[in-house]
Formats: sequence, C-alpha cells, structure tokens
Amino acid sequence: MLKMTHLSKVYRTEVVETYALRDFNIDVNEGEFVAVTGPSGSGKTTFLTIAGLLETFTGGTYHLDGVEVSKLDDNARSRIRNEKIGFIFQAFNLIPDLNVFDNVEVPLRYRGMKAAERKQRIMESLERVGLASRAKHYPAELSGGQQQRVAIARALAGSPRLLLADEPTGNLDTQMARGVMELLEEIHREGATIVMVTHDPELAARAQRNVHVIDGQVVDLAEDPRFHAQVQAGRVNI
Amino acid sequence: MAITPIIVALRRHKAGALLIGLQIALTLAIVCNALFIITTRIERIGRPTGIDEANLFKVSVQRGGLPSDGEAAKARLDADVRTDLAAIRALPDVADAYVTNTLPLANSNWTGWLGQTPDGDKVGPSTAFFLGDEHTLATLGLHLVEGRNFRPEEVLPHSLRDRVAPAQLIISKALAQKLYPDGDAIGKTVYVGPSAPPTRIIGVVDRLQSSTVQAWAESFAWQTSIVPARFSFTYRTYAIRARPGRLDAAMKAVPDALYAVDPQRVIPEDDGVLSFAGIRARAYRADRGMAILMGAVCVILLTVTAAGVVGLSSFWVGQRRRQIGIRRALGATRRNILNYFLAENALITVGGVLVGALMAFAINAWLMVQFELARLSVNYVLAGIVALIVLGQASAFAPALRASHIPPVEATRS
Repeated sequence: MLKMTHLSKVYRTEVVETYALRDFNIDVNEGEFVAVTGPSGSGKTTFLTIAGLLETFTGGTYHLDGVEVSKLDDNARSRIRNEKIGFIFQAFNLIPDLNVFDNVEVPLRYRGMKAAERKQRIMESLERVGLASRAKHYPAELSGGQQQRVAIARALAGSPRLLLADEPTGNLDTQMARGVMELLEEIHREGATIVMVTHDPELAARAQRNVHVIDGQVVDLAEDPRFHAQVQAGRVNI
Repeated sequence: MAITPIIVALRRHKAGALLIGLQIALTLAIVCNALFIITTRIERIGRPTGIDEANLFKVSVQRGGLPSDGEAAKARLDADVRTDLAAIRALPDVADAYVTNTLPLANSNWTGWLGQTPDGDKVGPSTAFFLGDEHTLATLGLHLVEGRNFRPEEVLPHSLRDRVAPAQLIISKALAQKLYPDGDAIGKTVYVGPSAPPTRIIGVVDRLQSSTVQAWAESFAWQTSIVPARFSFTYRTYAIRARPGRLDAAMKAVPDALYAVDPQRVIPEDDGVLSFAGIRARAYRADRGMAILMGAVCVILLTVTAAGVVGLSSFWVGQRRRQIGIRRALGATRRNILNYFLAENALITVGGVLVGALMAFAINAWLMVQFELARLSVNYVLAGIVALIVLGQASAFAPALRASHIPPVEATRS
C-alpha cells in the first residue's frame, strides 16, 4: 500500500543542508494499522507529510498503491490526495467559516461528486462518528473531541485507501482521546489502512505494528544504540 | 465551482465584503455618470459649426482716437474698413476676407428674434446675427443650399448702436425650418423685432453655429442669420481665409499689412490674431476642463477601487493560508484555489455593481433635476458593470494566484 525506499528529505539553505529524512525505508501493507513513533524532531511529521503528498521528497522512491509518486505533477498529486488519502490532523484543521456538513463536503466537492451522493456520504460519515445531529453547527460550537470526530468523518467520507493521522489525540483530554482512538480502531477493523504518528506509547501500543523513527531513519529499537542513548537521556518514553 | 459554500463563508466576513461591495457600487454610480458627462461634453466639443474651419483665422483690431458715434464717424470708420479689407485681400497668402461683429464660437452673440408680422405681436424664433458681405460665404466656406448671395450694393455700413433691420437676410436651414416648417423660405418676409421694416430672406445656408456655446443660447444655437452689413466701428473683427497651407504666413502677414495701413491701432497680443482652431479651443475650454476633471475622477476612483480589491484579497489570502493549505491537502488543485478567490471576488463585485447600477440612475435623476443633464443611457451602466467586473477580477487575480501557490503542507503548520 505504502512503500518508501531509501527516501530522503533535505532542507537546504545557502549555508547548511538539514536532513529531515535519510535513507528512510518503510513498507505498510493494505489493511495494516501502523503507529509511527519517535522523539520530537525525529522526522515523524515530515514522513507523514511526504506520505500524504503534502510535500515532495529529495531522493529515493515512494510507491503509493503501486504508483511511483515522484513523477506525478501537482494536479495528479491533488487527485491522489483527494481520492486515496484521508487526513486527520492534530489541530483538526476544520474550516471555521463552514459548518460541519460543509466541512465534510469539501473533499467530495473537489472530486466533482453529484450533490445527492455527496449528501448521502456526508450523512453516513457523520452518523458513523456520532455527529449527524450536529451537521449545521460550526466548528467553534463543538468540543475538541467533536471537532476531531468531524475531521475523521471528513477523512472517511471520500472512502480513502489510506488514512494518515498526525497526533490525532494530541489536542484532546484523556476521555476524548479514548473515544477517538476507539473510533480509529473500529475503522481499522472495517478494513482501512491507517498510519498514525504519535508521541503517546499507549496509543502506539494499540496499533498492529510500531515503526520507530530517530534522526530521520526507521530503526530497530533492539539493535539501535541511538535509541538506548535517547532512552538514557530521557527523550523517549518506553 | 460551487457558489453556495463561498456565499456561506462570505457571510462570516460581512464587514470586509460589504465595504468593498459598497466601494464598487459607488465607483460604478459615479463613473457611469462621469463617463456620460464626458461623452456629452466630447460630443458637444466635436459639433461641426457648418463653416470650413481649416485655414480660417480672425484678426481683431481696436482703433483708438476716433469718434464712433454719428453718421460722419461711421462713414470715416467704413472707409477705414474698406481700406483694411482691400489691403488684406491683396495679400498673396489670403484667399478672401470680410469684416464682422463676431464669428461662430467667438463668444459674442448678437441675438434677436424674427417675427412674421410687422406689429411684433407674434414673437418668432430667436436667432443669432452675424454681420457679413458678399465675401462671407466664400470666406467661411458656407454651403448655400437655396437662394443667392448678397450683392455688393446690398451691403451697408453698420455701427455698434445701429439697429439690425436689413432689407435682405441669409439664414441657416435650421432657422428656415423653424420659420417655415412646411415650405420654402426664399422670398419670404420677416421682421427683426417689433415695428421693424420688412426683411426678405434671399438665401439659406446649410448649417451655421451661433457665436456662443453657453447654455442660455443652446436652444437656438443653429438658428442663425447673416445680415448684409459692414461692421464699421472702432472695434471690429476681420474674418480671413488663408490660401491652403498658408495659414501661419497669412496670420503673420495680415497684422503687418494692417499696421502698415494705419499704425494707430491695437491688435491685442493674446487673442488679437487667432486661428479658428484657437477660437474653438477657447469656446470649449470649460467643456474640455470638465471632461478632463471627470476623467481624472474616474481614473482615481477606479484606481482606489482596484487597490481596495487587491488589498482585501491579499488580506484574506494572508488570513486564510492555513485554510488554503487544508483545502489543498483535501484535494484542491491550484486552479480550484485560484477559482475560489476569483469567484469570491466576482460575487462581491456583482453584488456591488447591482447596487451601483441603481445608484447610477438615482444620481442621474438628481443631476437631471439639478443641472438639466440628459437621461443616462443604460449602455453606460452596462459598460460600467462589465468594466468593474473585469477590473475586480484583474485586481483579485494576483492575490488569487499567490493563494493558489500556497503548498498543501501549510495545513500542518501552526
């Protein structure tokens, strides 16, 4: 489903090159629920933005659903984002000017879907996250947990092949976080492929597989001395 | 492009949208009326006088130190005029010349009215009088459509205080139609004011504009009469036609010749010798000034409105960087983003121009009452609407293009 090989991402200025990802390798199979963990600045979010085609990469290859994405133009990348990927952001990223219904509708409109089908999908998605009754509410009128549920409904409405979640519970209290996590697990049980970036080891433990990123690389925790050094420095929770 | 979500989003930014919409409305209302005034003025400025203006000029002379009242004084001045005319016509660069009280557009109207009965009970149409002789038609290049020219013996000396009461008259076609809508004017008798001797119409010229372009004389601007009279007064004007291509030379030669005949005269430096182009420019100076002023107002208003649209669009793009990133992350293409901002601008502009169209007609109605302006043609409003929509879209294009280049990764930045 998602395969990155020797992938690198370099930020260049006039005087310095910074590797956000270096020789990054990951292979996520269809239907998997993978948690990507690592300390701050390790490159988790950079990985997610590249995986979601929000950013380009510098070297290596990235195949998404069998398509090598580096050769795609901006329009093709937009189409893939719209049709194959669902995003769940830490800050929810709802559009404050639009109500819940209109927010969920945004990606469907860009797909050129007919109004009747849009409406059906929106209501199904909102019912799935338990917010059908809040369709006319604006984001500011909802709690954080409800906003994240709307974001999940928006991500699900387009029936994406891959769900990318960036610290989906990072802005929520424990109870709300639990609810969101249970929702993600339920979505996974129904067959979705989920890649979730998180700091939270408890959340990571609920995924099928954990991938650890340190200094822009995927590491095997048992064998990597950098991990042990970071544990000793108190930068990684076990 | 879905309009409903844009309208919904705009409702959340009412103040900015309403202000820019109002600015567009005011601009349309003022620009339409200003352009209408400009066009009206330009049409006015461009009206043909009926005379052949090329190679035509005038020389105004003031002869001091001579009595001007009485028959003897008139005879003396008439002799001077004849001498002057002989000297002018003898110049190689001059095609023809005559003496007169005034010329079309020269802003010195002699006006009266023509009655069709001697008792004066029945007031006829107003007219502007030009004094002229048998050289007038040729000098001015007038086209005689009916009747005949004056004969030399019909042309009499005429002082400033003499009553206009000629035996013959050549009139303009507009005046002839006003006097005799159903028939031929030639040979008909009219009376210049009450208790006047009869005057016979002997000729009709195609078109001849009066001396003044001021509003009070506008109703009879083309109802003109040529009186067979040599204006024999201390102050007089010579109308002179130069030979083709010799205008500048003739304008220099005539004053020299006049000073040679009689050095005891004054030809004013600023407007004593003036080409007809100069006379026309002076006559319509106020109209031209008004047109330029209105044009400047239009340019300033349109510039301010364009700047307002650019400013608001840029502000909104800056304010919504993250939102644009989110839309891009959810699958919007660059074109989707570009179209979104252009459509948003188009909605505001269309709202503004619809209100502006009503305001344009309201302002015009007020101007019609206050300043007797004509009714504003709907074409001006339609043209203004198109122009403002184009201006709005052009102004919003650069900010919209910048918005379309905001990368989707902006969605992840806090």
